[in-house]
Amino acid sequence: MNWYRRLDRAAIVLGLVSIMSAAFVFVHGTFQLVQIGTVGLVVALVLGLLAIAAGWLAERTLLIAAGVGFLLAATVQLVLLAGGGSGFLGGNASTFSLWLGLGAGLIAIGLVPRPEAIEETSQA
Amino acid sequence: MTGTDYAAGTDSTADTHSTARAVPVLPSRLNRALLAVVRIGVGLLWLQNVGWKTPPNFGRGDPPDGLYLSASYAVSDPVLPPFAWLMERFVLPNFTFFGWMVLLVEAALGAFLVIGLATRFWALIGIAQTVVIALSVLNAPHEWYWSYLLMLLVHVALFATAAGRYGGLDGLLRPEWELSRSWAARWLVRVS
Repeated sequence: MNWYRRLDRAAIVLGLVSIMSAAFVFVHGTFQLVQIGTVGLVVALVLGLLAIAAGWLAERTLLIAAGVGFLLAATVQLVLLAGGGSGFLGGNASTFSLWLGLGAGLIAIGLVPRPEAIEETSQA
Repeated sequence: MTGTDYAAGTDSTADTHSTARAVPVLPSRLNRALLAVVRIGVGLLWLQNVGWKTPPNFGRGDPPDGLYLSASYAVSDPVLPPFAWLMERFVLPNFTFFGWMVLLVEAALGAFLVIGLATRFWALIGIAQTVVIALSVLNAPHEWYWSYLLMLLVHVALFATAAGRYGGLDGLLRPEWELSRSWAARWLVRVS
């Protein structure tokens, strides 16, 4: 498999992880790995789908956008936690951790230069 | 058999053994997958358990609970007297700051071990954090000291095997980092 396709596939996996995390809306107690509220569910689904689309279309800009989106959501969740509650996102520090990982991962993948970007740079 | 037998290389049996010893275990697809499972599992351990670190008080109150209660065991049931002294004099009186540090470090451990990015670095941080936790709660009631020893050992294993290279982003991105001359890429090569 082409190395760039492997990068895109990794982005798709990260998007799928986000979508699967939405299931924790229904899981409580011992096996609740992350706390996902109603707005958090929307964040997980929308950004997860964006990451999958970015990987599917091999769109580096979309990849970075999804990564930045996750990092923003993680930051907002952290600020809400500092206020003493889950806030409108309905998550906890585990949610912050998950979104931090997804954001960092997508940005790390998105920062890898692609052949078309390299060609554009050399032409300029 | 001594080390000299391998070094001499004149004996065909020694050659065979030397070759057998050099064959790494990890090229097996199953072993790579299992190592990824271990890494992700350890990441999920941190990811889930950072959830009960609740700012802004982190359990400081009457009665104390959560992270503050766990940290206070270092003083009420000391493991290492100098560590208990440090906790009593510096950490517990400034607990908001240390609570945030714990939250950020453990959230990052969960995040980066799950995706397998800079895994060896985070395995070292995991070792350090496990030592701190163990020194706090090892003598607390109903604790099983092997759980902390196991936590420590599994991070050592993640470090020793560079576990992020198997099913993680380290393995995927290392070729790119190795070609780059930026300081960030050089650092990532070292810690992945």
